[in-house]
Amino acid sequence: MATSALIGECTLELQGSWVDAWKFEKALMRCGDALGSLYHTIVIRVPSGCSLMIDVIIRLLSFCNQAVACTKRVRLEFGEASRALGYLNRIGFFDHLAPAVEVTPHRPIFSGAAIHRGGNRGLVEIERFSPDKPVEQNLVPRLVAAVTRGCSARSDVTEIGDAMYSIFGELVKNVFDHSRTNLDAYAALQTYPQGNRVTVAVSDSGIGILSSLRPALRGGKWDNLSDVDLVVEIFREGISSKPEDKRGMGLKSSARHAIGFRADLDVRLLNQRVLLKPSNNEYQPNMAYSQDQLPLLWGTHIAFSFKLD
Amino acid sequence: MNGETSGWDRDQAIPVAAKLVSLLETLPERSVARVSMAGIERMDASFAAEAIVEVIGRFRKSKGICLVDLSNKAIRLNIDLVAERMGIPVTVWNGAEVEVIGLKPSAGNREALDYALARAEVRTATFADVAGISIANASTKFKQLWEQGFLMRIEGAADSGGVEFLYRRIG
Repeated sequence: MATSALIGECTLELQGSWVDAWKFEKALMRCGDALGSLYHTIVIRVPSGCSLMIDVIIRLLSFCNQAVACTKRVRLEFGEASRALGYLNRIGFFDHLAPAVEVTPHRPIFSGAAIHRGGNRGLVEIERFSPDKPVEQNLVPRLVAAVTRGCSARSDVTEIGDAMYSIFGELVKNVFDHSRTNLDAYAALQTYPQGNRVTVAVSDSGIGILSSLRPALRGGKWDNLSDVDLVVEIFREGISSKPEDKRGMGLKSSARHAIGFRADLDVRLLNQRVLLKPSNNEYQPNMAYSQDQLPLLWGTHIAFSFKLD
Repeated sequence: MNGETSGWDRDQAIPVAAKLVSLLETLPERSVARVSMAGIERMDASFAAEAIVEVIGRFRKSKGICLVDLSNKAIRLNIDLVAERMGIPVTVWNGAEVEVIGLKPSAGNREALDYALARAEVRTATFADVAGISIANASTKFKQLWEQGFLMRIEGAADSGGVEFLYRRIG
């Protein structure tokens, strides 16, 4: 049972080590239904030794901004000499964090992202885009350029860049097609020092792709699928909310490009999370690891994790 | 592509498709157009669907349109995926090598297509003989492949003096 220091206050306690999507979910479960009506205050503790993976960072960013949009009080507490604080500042986390979120010991005075933008090969600043405004034409090329900067020593850097263009393109379009919110969406990526691993992540704060697709599929062949199986088929078959429009590839195209690099695919929806591992050159239901009945997190959060060798 | 080296989404593709269609309409019936992809650096699935695959499908049975200089793997994959979904075969030439991406032929027509792709022109009777099937059966296979857009069809003179259809790969 979740314990609260104060009635109406809950605490999201992150670990003092690397926090990946699975550890983030465990922390959310311990915290309880933070975005539900039970709590008016959410405290997020990021201890000194805590390091956050890029997909977790933009999920946390969306989570904080959703909580503020639900009129909750949010306090982000960093441990002493926190390395996460410096890193989050460097990639522009605080530039996009709702001003109402309290930060202790204090918000950085200067944005590290604004000062150093594009200066480090290994990381990229968080890109914000709004589903209710026309997509900025440079958004996808900027993300692709960041990947190719990070992998510049590799001989297949051009192929990686080409694939990323299609992957980010489809993920960004998916937000416009399915999120139905005026809260901002975020895209980010992290390349690792040797350039042999890249994680790309896109998060929105909308109604979730299943909620968006289900009504359009009623009565059809996909109607009886479980949520997990439907998520797999969205990436395998490219299920569209407009089945008559045969030109829409949906997310199938992004998955097929990612499969070429044996990428793991992590999808977080309102109350579920599905981790897909490639098998026989595709994502299959029997290789899906799923979690149900998770605490509410609005939106569709997709991350591809590439192993480049 | 109006000087652009990358194409993203349907809106950017519509003017490119219109330009390509008006160019192709000026060509006589049963002519072949080789569309070069040289210099194109990026193209997503939506753009490929509208500007390339839709146009090829529109002219099937009347004109043969194939792609050349398609060395970019990501663009090839996008064209392959959308063409398969749209049910349109796309003939691609890499030097002297030819392949068809997008729509797959039925299992029963696969051998006839492979036979036709390996040579400049095919007579139904020749393939029937090679495959050990009736001329009527071979004729049905090639007719289906032509209707679906895998092959071109021209009228030739049969040995008997009547009309015989000859089938050609595109390009």
